[in-house]
Amino acid sequence: MARLIGRRLLLMVPTLILVSILVFALAEVLPGNLGRSILGPYATQQQVDILNHHLGADKPLYERYAVWAGHFVTGHWGASLQLGTPVFSTVMRALGNSLLLAGFALVIIVPTSILVGVYAGLRRDSLLDRAITISTLSMTVIPEFVSGVILIVVFAVTLHWLPVSAMPPQGAPFVDRFYYLILPAIPLMLLELGYIARMARVGTVQVLAMPYIRTAVLKGLPRHRVIFGHVLRNALVPTVTVIGSQVGWLIGGLVVVEFLFVYPGIGNMMINAAQFHDVPLLEACVLVVAVLYMLSNLIADIVVALLNPRIRMGG
Amino acid sequence: MAPAGVVDDSRTQEMQADVAAALEQRRQRRYLVRALLRSPTFVIGVLIVLFWVFMGIFSTAFTQSPLAQHPFAILQSPSAAHWFGTDDLGRDVLARTMAGARTVLIIAPLATLLALLWGGIIGLIAGFYRGITDDIIMRLVDVLLALPVIITSILILSLFGKSLAIVIVVIGALFTPVVSRTIRSAVIGEREREYVMAARLRGERSAFVMAREILPNITQPIIVEGTVRLGYAVFTAATLSFLGFGLGPPSPDWGLTIATERVDLQSAPWTVLFPAFALASLVVGVNLITDGLSSVFSK
Repeated sequence: MARLIGRRLLLMVPTLILVSILVFALAEVLPGNLGRSILGPYATQQQVDILNHHLGADKPLYERYAVWAGHFVTGHWGASLQLGTPVFSTVMRALGNSLLLAGFALVIIVPTSILVGVYAGLRRDSLLDRAITISTLSMTVIPEFVSGVILIVVFAVTLHWLPVSAMPPQGAPFVDRFYYLILPAIPLMLLELGYIARMARVGTVQVLAMPYIRTAVLKGLPRHRVIFGHVLRNALVPTVTVIGSQVGWLIGGLVVVEFLFVYPGIGNMMINAAQFHDVPLLEACVLVVAVLYMLSNLIADIVVALLNPRIRMGG
Repeated sequence: MAPAGVVDDSRTQEMQADVAAALEQRRQRRYLVRALLRSPTFVIGVLIVLFWVFMGIFSTAFTQSPLAQHPFAILQSPSAAHWFGTDDLGRDVLARTMAGARTVLIIAPLATLLALLWGGIIGLIAGFYRGITDDIIMRLVDVLLALPVIITSILILSLFGKSLAIVIVVIGALFTPVVSRTIRSAVIGEREREYVMAARLRGERSAFVMAREILPNITQPIIVEGTVRLGYAVFTAATLSFLGFGLGPPSPDWGLTIATERVDLQSAPWTVLFPAFALASLVVGVNLITDGLSSVFSK
C-alpha cells in the first residue's frame, strides 16, 4: 500500500513539471511582451520596460523558467498586481474556503447519490427506477450556473428557506457557514448525482444477482442486514471509482458555483485574476488547482485500493 | 482481362460479391435511419435542437429587437406586450432569449468539428502506427488532460484575449485529447482486421489505408463521439461566456445574460430564468440525440 502511494506520488512529479512548463509557456512566453499584456495598449514603452525588468521578463527563457519555478517551490509567490497582497497567503486563504465548500459538497453528494442509486437498483426496472435514472442523468448535462440560478429563485427568493449569499455576515459562528453553503452545494451535487447514482445502481444490480445474496436471504437474514452488510459494501467500489473520475468536473463546477454565489474561494479568485490580467495570482491559482486535482485523483485511487482487497494486496 | 464474350467465372463471382456487399451496406444504412426515426429520444432531441437553430437564424424576423432599449419599461414582469417581461434596460426578454441561441450554436458545432478533425488525425496516427509514436502522443495527451478543461480555457482566454474565433479554437483544442483517445481505440480495434491486411498486402500507402479503409469503418464511434463532444461543447461555451470569457454586452448570449442579469435575480427573476431554461433545453436536446444515436448503434 505504502509502495503504491509512494510510486503514484513520484509519478506526479513529471506531470507537475510538464504542467508548470505549460502554465509558464502560456502565461509568460506566448503572449509575447508580458509587461504589455498586463498593462494594455495605452501604457508607455517606459512603463512596460520597467514592469518587464521588475518581473524579470527581460532575461533568457530557461533562466526565467528556473527562477519562476524556484520561486514557486520555495513559497515566494510574489505579490498580486491587482490586490497588492502577497499571493501565497491570499491563495491559501481562498483555498481554505474552497476546500470547505468542496468538502461540504462531497459530504452531501456521496451518501445521497449512493442511497438514490442503491434504492433504484433494489427496485430495478420499476417506474421509479426509470424516473430516477432519467431525471438524475439529465441533471448532469445542465450547466451548474443554470441549475444554480433556478435553485436560488425557488429556495431563496420564493420560499425563503435558504440565504441567497454563500457567506454568513461577519461575526456569525463558524457553524453558520454550513447553512449558507447548502444552496451552493446543490448544483455541484446535481452535476455528479447522475453518474454516481448510476454506478451505485449497476453495482447493486450486479451484487443482487450473486449467489451469496440468495444464500443470505434464504438463511433468514433480515432485509436491512442483507442490504447494508452485503449489497452496499460491494456496490461501493465502482461508485468510488467514478467519483474519482469526476473530480475534474467537480473542480470546474466549483469555479462556476463560486463565481455565481460570489464566494471567496480559489475559483472566483482565478476568474477575477484572469479578468484583471493579474498574472502572478492567476498562475498561482492554476498551479494550486492542478496539484489539488492530481492529489484528489490519487486519494480516489487509494480509497478504491482500500476497498478492494485484490488491489490492496497486490500493492 | 478475359477476352470479350468469355465469362471469367471467378471474376463474375467477385463482382457479384461486391454488389451484394454494397447492397447490404445500403440496407443497413436504411435500417439505421429507420431505427433512428423510430427512437423517440432521438426525434425529440433533434426537434429541440432544430427549434433553437431556427430561432438562432430567424427569430429577429418576427420578435422585437433583442437590442432595442425602452427606458420607460424596465424590469417589467411578463405581460401581453412582453411575454417574457423586460430586463434592466427595458429590452424584451423573449426576443433576447430566442436570439441568444446564436452564439452557442456557432461556437459549439465548430469547436466540435475542430476537435474531431485534430483528434481524428492524431487518433488515426497513434492507433495505426502504435509503438513509440503512440507512446509519445498519448503521454502528451495525458499532460493536456492533467488540468480541468475549464481551468485551461480560462488561462488561455485571459492571456490571448477573447473573441468568438479564439473561444472556438480553445474549446476545439482542449477536446482534441479525449477525441483522439476514442478514435485511437477504435482504430486499434480495426487495424488487425483482414481488410486492413489486404490493403497493406496490395501495397497501399499508410495514408490511404488510414483514410480510405479504416476511417469509413469507424464512422459510428466517430459520430457518437462527435455528439457527445457537442453536448460538452455547448456546456463549456455557455459556461465560459457566463464566466465572462465570451462575447461582451449587449450580446443576448444566454451565459452572458445570466451572469449580468443575476443582480436582478431577486426583483426580476424572469430576466435570468428564461435564458436559463432555454440553455437547459438545448443541452438536454443535444444529449437526447447522443442517447438515441448510441442506443441505435449499439443494437
